[in-house]
Amino acid sequence: MSNIGIVEIFAVIVFFISFYGLITSKNIIKSIASIGIMEIAVIMFFLGIGFFDGMKPPIGPNLENVADPLPQALVITTIIIGITVCAVNLSMLITLCRQLKAADWDIVEKKSSE
Amino acid sequence: MIQIFLIFWLISSLLIIIDKQLIHLIIHLGIFSMVSAVCFFMLAAPDVAMAEAVVSVFTTIVFIVCFEKYYSLVDILVVPDKKAKFFRHLVPIGFTILLIALFFMFIPDVPASTYLKEMYISMFQQDIGGENAVTAIYLGYRVYDTLFEALMLLVSIAAIIHLSWHEKKLDIVDRTESGIGNYNIASATIRVIVPLIVMFSFYLIVNGHISAGGGFQGGALIAVLFICRYIIYHIHDMNIDRIIILEKLVFVLIAIVAIYFIFLGAGSWLSLPQGVYLMVMNLLVGIKIACGFLVMFYRFMVYERR
Repeated sequence: MSNIGIVEIFAVIVFFISFYGLITSKNIIKSIASIGIMEIAVIMFFLGIGFFDGMKPPIGPNLENVADPLPQALVITTIIIGITVCAVNLSMLITLCRQLKAADWDIVEKKSSE
Repeated sequence: MIQIFLIFWLISSLLIIIDKQLIHLIIHLGIFSMVSAVCFFMLAAPDVAMAEAVVSVFTTIVFIVCFEKYYSLVDILVVPDKKAKFFRHLVPIGFTILLIALFFMFIPDVPASTYLKEMYISMFQQDIGGENAVTAIYLGYRVYDTLFEALMLLVSIAAIIHLSWHEKKLDIVDRTESGIGNYNIASATIRVIVPLIVMFSFYLIVNGHISAGGGFQGGALIAVLFICRYIIYHIHDMNIDRIIILEKLVFVLIAIVAIYFIFLGAGSWLSLPQGVYLMVMNLLVGIKIACGFLVMFYRFMVYERR
């Protein structure tokens, strides 16, 4: 526990808040939004690992006491992937709305089993 | 200082989950994205903060179109069930708290290994070039990440086109719905902003290897430029098939350039100055991202709204 900073603790709490939203939400749109929040929480955790107080961005000619550039390089691609995943999910949802006229988990299950 | 913004971040994420009114989700998501971009900036990651700020524009657009469809297609039923409300919330909350406790109990008590950090920071200026360590890593040491990210974007664009397929040919100028061009304040403001957006996006792409920014952020900003054009004039004369072909060609070019420069070492036997590779790759990645986001935007805004 000693090596965990405040950023990581907040990121874990937000991750599980969005997990709670994912398992309790009745509407599919809210579930998709919860997945987006979850992803940003994971990004925050990754950035928090490589950061300690007083660090500078890893940009410039003299690189002393800078944050870890590796997690930043990893999560930049993750952000772009996140929006495309969100868009694919929502376009699937729109197709579902056209066919079943419903976007709630219960009603969708009931109508698709008929 | 960062604690205050982290508390804001927590509250805005709680608002998204708790708020019963579904349409408020768009505003809460915008607040959440903005606060998380500020937090990323305070965690000494300006590249990530910029990418998050640009990408949240697209999140908002996609969610707005989805809500429009949702309220026009779905007949919303209000089913009041107040009997099992307490127990229905008690079990998931207990389960979530248990998971948080388990996480903090079993997290390893070892500091994260940073030998890669020292190696990258001391070596990247000779190996790859430029002054931005983040760009040097995702275009140099970890170029596979960028390649497969580009492939992933291509595949998901294909999925969006497949899922929202419309055979009907569209008119070039849609006069049936009046655009924002009829409102003077909005259109005048956008006309002032557009040259600044062009300048800033090209600055980000060309200067990506020596300052914060790069292909991802600049490419998304170029897509924002075309979105502004659509919002003012309501013209969609872009041929989507040609944009997709351009995107595929640029993807092949990215792969070729990466193979020649990283695996075969073309920079040394062509005796190019350092930074040329990063600039070329940033430009190609920017075009790729701009094409992908444009197709996504046109699919959602023009085809899906009809």
